[in-house]
Amino acid sequence: MAAIATVIGTLAFFASVRAAHSADGARPDLTDSKVISAGRDLYLDKHCSHCHGATGEGGVNLVKRDLTNPSYVFDAIADGRERSGLRMPAWREVLSDREIWQITAYIISLSQNPK
Amino acid sequence: MRCNTSLCSKSAALALAGYAAVFGLAVLLGAARALAEAPGSGTEDPNNWPQYHRTSNGWRYSPLEQINKTNIGRLKVAWIHQAGDITHGTQETPIVVDGVIYSISAGNRVAAIDAKTGKDIWRYEPKLDPLTKKVLFSPYSRGVAVGRGKVFLATVDGRGIAIDQKTGKEVWQTQLTDFPNCHGCNFTSPPVLAGDVLTFGSTGGELATAGKIYGVEADSGKKLWEFETIKRDVASWPAESGKYGGGGAWMPGTYDAETNTVFYGTGNPGKDFVGSEREGDNLYTDSIVALDPKTGTLKWYRQEIKHDVWDYDSTYELLLLQRDGKDLLIHLNKSGFVLVMDKLNGKLDNVWRLSETINFAKDVDPKTGEIIGRVELQMGKPTVICPSPFGARSWNSGAYNPKTGLWYTDAMEFCAALTPVEQKTDPKDYATAHIGSEDFGKLQLASGHVPGRLDARDPITGQRRWTYETEIPSFGSVLATGGGLVFNGDPLGNLRAFDADNGQVLWTFNTGSGLRSGLVSYAVDGKQYILVPSGWGSYAAILLPPLFPQLEKVPAASTLIAFSLED
Repeated sequence: MAAIATVIGTLAFFASVRAAHSADGARPDLTDSKVISAGRDLYLDKHCSHCHGATGEGGVNLVKRDLTNPSYVFDAIADGRERSGLRMPAWREVLSDREIWQITAYIISLSQNPK
Repeated sequence: MRCNTSLCSKSAALALAGYAAVFGLAVLLGAARALAEAPGSGTEDPNNWPQYHRTSNGWRYSPLEQINKTNIGRLKVAWIHQAGDITHGTQETPIVVDGVIYSISAGNRVAAIDAKTGKDIWRYEPKLDPLTKKVLFSPYSRGVAVGRGKVFLATVDGRGIAIDQKTGKEVWQTQLTDFPNCHGCNFTSPPVLAGDVLTFGSTGGELATAGKIYGVEADSGKKLWEFETIKRDVASWPAESGKYGGGGAWMPGTYDAETNTVFYGTGNPGKDFVGSEREGDNLYTDSIVALDPKTGTLKWYRQEIKHDVWDYDSTYELLLLQRDGKDLLIHLNKSGFVLVMDKLNGKLDNVWRLSETINFAKDVDPKTGEIIGRVELQMGKPTVICPSPFGARSWNSGAYNPKTGLWYTDAMEFCAALTPVEQKTDPKDYATAHIGSEDFGKLQLASGHVPGRLDARDPITGQRRWTYETEIPSFGSVLATGGGLVFNGDPLGNLRAFDADNGQVLWTFNTGSGLRSGLVSYAVDGKQYILVPSGWGSYAAILLPPLFPQLEKVPAASTLIAFSLED
């Protein structure tokens, strides 16, 4: 029992850390069409489409990738990315957590879009 | 003997060895320099690459001829140097002075490297403002400047920094731009050393800011002046439209000691594609400006694109040439028109076309420079414009060889559908380009035209001697050498050496990553090297794959590869 409790406790700790890091408190329902629509507007307004294309099929293609982990997508937008020589700027404090979640919802909707 | 071009040939080296025995190495080096052609000819200081284009005339020409058409097949890798951080690849033109390379990589990290071995001598890393993580143009730089015992750096958080050339220790630093409050305006190119003054050109065209050029005392870092690339003139910029008018000067200028002038080409006006909010000429965007380096006073200007709505900056290299008694300044505008003008006053001598597919206008008047038959963009509607906002060539420079009288330059033939839209202006929206569009245009090929070329042309008339066509355009600068060679590389890492006279490919090597940088040549202890910064990056790497799917999987890198003839 003690071992199970330790495991549960550890999992809970990491879950809480990730929640805090990803500002899960502001996380809306990512499948809500209004949230996705608001995310699309922001995505275009902030020119995410420059690099990713309006529908995710730009130079840094989102459609081809598995972007179904919401926290991963949120953190990438909030803190930016430097990978394989390419760099995405960080958006934390330029956008609110809620706005970043809205864009996250739109991106997840793109990556799940059957092709 | 013209020592400048033959110093590194074996016969000359043997002859000079005799002198060395008598007079010593220091005297030998002094003699070598004394035998160079007159200063300003583009062949002085042959063993070094002391500034961005090697010489102030923008030629990118190394007079060294040890590596030449007859022995290029023996060119081998001498050493390789890794910068470490590969973010945005490498976009630099390294500086080489007296056997030491001064290199800059991502995050404005500077290294002094032994040019014979590739080993580090010192490294310097500035602590950058964390805001650099959020801004559009970061963390890359196209080079450093060297002189007066210092290495000068222009940072991606808007500072000028001087480093001791021998020790790598910081000497001074000065914050020049209002980095947090002007949309992250900063520097992505090296400063220009103009006597005892350094000049810095800010990023600006795609930023909600009013770009500036700064003059700084080179020995102390004291700011001397600012030149506003957005003219304070309501006829040129109605109401408040100039406040966020862009401009800037994001490529290095050049200092002409003969006229004590620093020349810069300026960036485009913003928002790029929405002209209705800034009716007027929008001076001094898309212009060549001639400045007094001591005061920043404007001597003359020539605006190449009035009221630009297509993103046709004027920031590319300024080629200075004398021909038929004329002092000429030759300049490729991003639009594909090449303007040939009087260096002393900007008066036009000729205009010719590098691009074959220009459609944004019918022509440019070769006497006045006026754009004839402009194609205006419609809000919310796509208009196919050629060339695309990438230009008839990107910022990778051409090279001029005084022996052939030819200018070797890359050219691109592809277009973009531009769709202007409304956009709010917010100078703290750091990563959103202030362009009035949701993208930089939907890129498309130009029917009947190969997308890329390397052209050999008369720089004054535009007459073409030869051309080499490529399915993927080059985004790396050209190097011309006294050995009759032209070096150029592409985004797939294919480095080629061409016969300067006829364009025949004489040698190839794949560097393992794409080229977005400036190739240079230098000599140490009688051996010539070709130095190739390899590492695909920049916004080209991000934006081009939809048009060129071959570029989706190009490995990133930040590598210096030195080549020399095998012993």
